[in-house]
Amino acid sequence: MTTITILGDEVATATGEWVDGRPLIEPDALSAAVGWSLKPEGLCRGDQCVLVGDGSAIRVGDKLDLAAVANAVDQPTVVDPGASVVVLGQPNATRQAALRDRQAPDFTLVDLDGAERSLSDYAGKKRLLVAFSNW
Amino acid sequence: MADDGFMVIAVAIDEAVDDVRVLADGITYPVLMDPDHILTETYAISNVPAVVWIDEQGRIARPNASEFGSDMFSEFTGRTCQGHFDQIRAWVHDGVVPDDADSEIADLSDDEVAARLHFRLAAHLRRAGNEEGAARHFDAAAKLAPLDFTVVRAAMPLRGESPFGEEFFKLLEEYQAAGSPFHGITPA
Repeated sequence: MTTITILGDEVATATGEWVDGRPLIEPDALSAAVGWSLKPEGLCRGDQCVLVGDGSAIRVGDKLDLAAVANAVDQPTVVDPGASVVVLGQPNATRQAALRDRQAPDFTLVDLDGAERSLSDYAGKKRLLVAFSNW
Repeated sequence: MADDGFMVIAVAIDEAVDDVRVLADGITYPVLMDPDHILTETYAISNVPAVVWIDEQGRIARPNASEFGSDMFSEFTGRTCQGHFDQIRAWVHDGVVPDDADSEIADLSDDEVAARLHFRLAAHLRRAGNEEGAARHFDAAAKLAPLDFTVVRAAMPLRGESPFGEEFFKLLEEYQAAGSPFHGITPA
C-alpha cells in the first residue's frame, strides 16, 4: 500500500496501490479523495448521481480505480504511477456549459494576501474577468 | 465605473506571487492567483490577456476575447485599448454588447484538456522539488498542445527559460504560421 496524491479542487491523499498503472483505493476512501461516493444508485455527489451499472467498469477486486471513477463522472485525469499522483480535472460539463450555455463557471482562488475569493462573491455586478500573466 | 455596479477581477496565470504583486501595485480591484491553471481549463483560455464579460446573473455576456489593458502592444496588435473601454462603457451604462458577443468559442480538445492536467502535475512536482518529473510532464503538456501559450509559454519561467527568449520567438513563429489558433475572439 502507498499514499496516492489527488490534485483536484483540493489536494487530497488516499491510501491505495498502483496495479498496471491504475490507481486503486478502498471504496470508503473515495469520497474524501474525489468528492464522489459509491452508493447503490451509483456514484453520487450532493443530490447528483451517475449510474455505473454493476460497477465492473470502476471496480478492481474489492478496490476502486480512481481514474475509471473520474471517467464515469466525465472528469478528465492524468496519472503518474511513479510519483503516485492523480490529477483530477474539472468536469467537462462545466466548461461546455460556459461555451455553449454561457454560464460562467464559479471558481475560488486566493488573492495576493492569501484570502480565498470566488467569482460568486461578486454576484449582482457586471464583472470584467481578466486573465493576465507575467510571462 | 466602480459605482455603476461594475468591477474588474484580474486572475494571474502565474506561479510566483511576488512577481504578480509588482504588476498589481496600486490596483484596488481583486487580483487572484491561479498557479494551477483552473481558469484556463474551465473557460478554455489558451493565451493571455483574455477577457470575459460576466453579467449580474453570472451569464457570459461576451466570451473570451484578446483585449489589452494598455497600448503597450498596439504596434504588434494593430489595435488600441480605447475601443474595448468604450464597448465596456456602453455595456455597463446601456446594456449594449458588441456584435462579436455572439461568437462561439471552440471547446478544448481532449489533448488540450490533458495538456492542462500535465501542466498542473508538473507544477505540483516542481514545488515538491521533483525537477525531473516536472520536466517530463511539462514536455508531455507541450506535446499535446504545442501552440497553447498557457501551456508552453507559461512553463518557460518554471523551466528556467526566459518567456521573452529564443524559445518564445520559436513558439510565436509556429503559432502565427498555424494561423494564430486562439480559443476566443480576436477583434479586428
